Amino acid sequence: MPAKKEVCDADGVKAAVEKVADGIISEFLDAFPEDFVVIGIHQQGVPLARRLIDFIKNKTGYVPELGMLDISMYRDDIGVRQDLPQISETLIPFDMNDKIVILVDDVLSSGRTIRAALDAVTDYGRPGLIRLAVLVNRGSHEFPIGADYTGMTLAVPAERKVVVEFEETEGHDRVCTIDWKKKRRSAKEDD
Amino acid sequence: MGKFTWTKKDLLSIYDLNAEEICCILDTAEEFKKVSQRNVKKVPALRGKTVVNFFVEPSTRTRMSFELAEQRLSADIINISASLSSLQKGETLLDTARNIEALQADLIVMRHSAAGAHVPLADKIKCGVLNAGDGAHSHPTQALLDTFTIREKKGKIKGLKVAIVGDILHSRVARSDAWALLKLGAEVRLAGPSTLVPREFEKMGVKVCHNLKEAIKGVDVVNLLRIQHERQKAGFFPSTGEYSKFFGLNEETCKYLKPDTMIMHPGPINRGIELDSSLADGSRSVILEQVTNGLAVRMAVLFLVAGCVKK
Repeated sequence: MPAKKEVCDADGVKAAVEKVADGIISEFLDAFPEDFVVIGIHQQGVPLARRLIDFIKNKTGYVPELGMLDISMYRDDIGVRQDLPQISETLIPFDMNDKIVILVDDVLSSGRTIRAALDAVTDYGRPGLIRLAVLVNRGSHEFPIGADYTGMTLAVPAERKVVVEFEETEGHDRVCTIDWKKKRRSAKEDD
Repeated sequence: MGKFTWTKKDLLSIYDLNAEEICCILDTAEEFKKVSQRNVKKVPALRGKTVVNFFVEPSTRTRMSFELAEQRLSADIINISASLSSLQKGETLLDTARNIEALQADLIVMRHSAAGAHVPLADKIKCGVLNAGDGAHSHPTQALLDTFTIREKKGKIKGLKVAIVGDILHSRVARSDAWALLKLGAEVRLAGPSTLVPREFEKMGVKVCHNLKEAIKGVDVVNLLRIQHERQKAGFFPSTGEYSKFFGLNEETCKYLKPDTMIMHPGPINRGIELDSSLADGSRSVILEQVTNGLAVRMAVLFLVAGCVKK
């Protein structure tokens, strides 16, 4: 298999973002915008969260607040992984208590990132409800964690890793798969 | 933040670090500072890790800061002081460290009176070793917290003028601060009586001043060091009164400072000797912020170093 293979183009990414946003709007329109916040998990969950907020704004006129979460301090693999994760900015500029929190990440794989994110979020307050939105659900879960809103479901061989690229960070929108073992020793060993 | 990744299992001295590594610690500390501002002031980053605080030389504030940092990272902690350890019974430092390692400890935070005492330990044991001060040699976490405080307040380090005033000769803080600031591109002036600030220091790339006015004129930061009374007995200066007259920062001498010059002190302060109370408690003083930032910086180095300790 080629080192990096595109499995979804820009149109596919756009449709997937819309699917996730539509799901959220249809369930939570009544809660907008006061009781409702969107929290992106670094790295790729943050641009995705921004897109969801933009879409919700365009469709409903409401602008939910954005939070950013880095889960490095909550990981379960310190001293096990090859390289240390780099800590990005955690910014929760609102009171989390009783809020409807949409946690956003690009890919749901093992579920370990989400496990860490749930611990982190609950250290900031006591949300009324937490839902998970992901662009790609690739299966191979290691924890009993599923997504509430999924943009696309991909069946990917275990030795391949799913990578989401956004225009904001990589200059183009697409979803690729890459060789998992090569990636495993790098700092980006996520999900 | 750049693409830099921390790779060291020990923090032995500032001299060993390059600018990129120092910035990595400072950037990481910014995020850890926020943890202490939350309702839940604790993260599980070091859950299941054991940290031994091994203070062969007495310490109150550094030890307290390290211990609280470890607690906020959810580590398990053991405290050993020299008087309670088997060093008193003739055990070598390396044997003590190996015993600590045999208990499956992950990190050793050590203060020792001998310069360089940490280096052979770090080589011979798998635990991460963090230097909490070694003789007059190095105090890396103090330098990191001072640098963090300056960067936070001034927005940068490069190009700033920083004066460090006091007993430079016996000060591990002065040496470590100077190296950290030089590596990040600041201009450093070391000042004090010629007995305590030999010209030898110029080899580091700093300016040596034996006159307070010359040292502090136009600086962005002035860092005062504590004058230890025992140095007077050893004849380095005639009296604390005379020291204070020539090198103390007070209402009179602070006229040479720019209005926005930041006043720092690593503590404990001898009020009225190296620094007047009105300045220590004034709006330009960041002394208590240094203490707050020390916690964040120590959380960051414990986190980074722990991530590189391989079992």
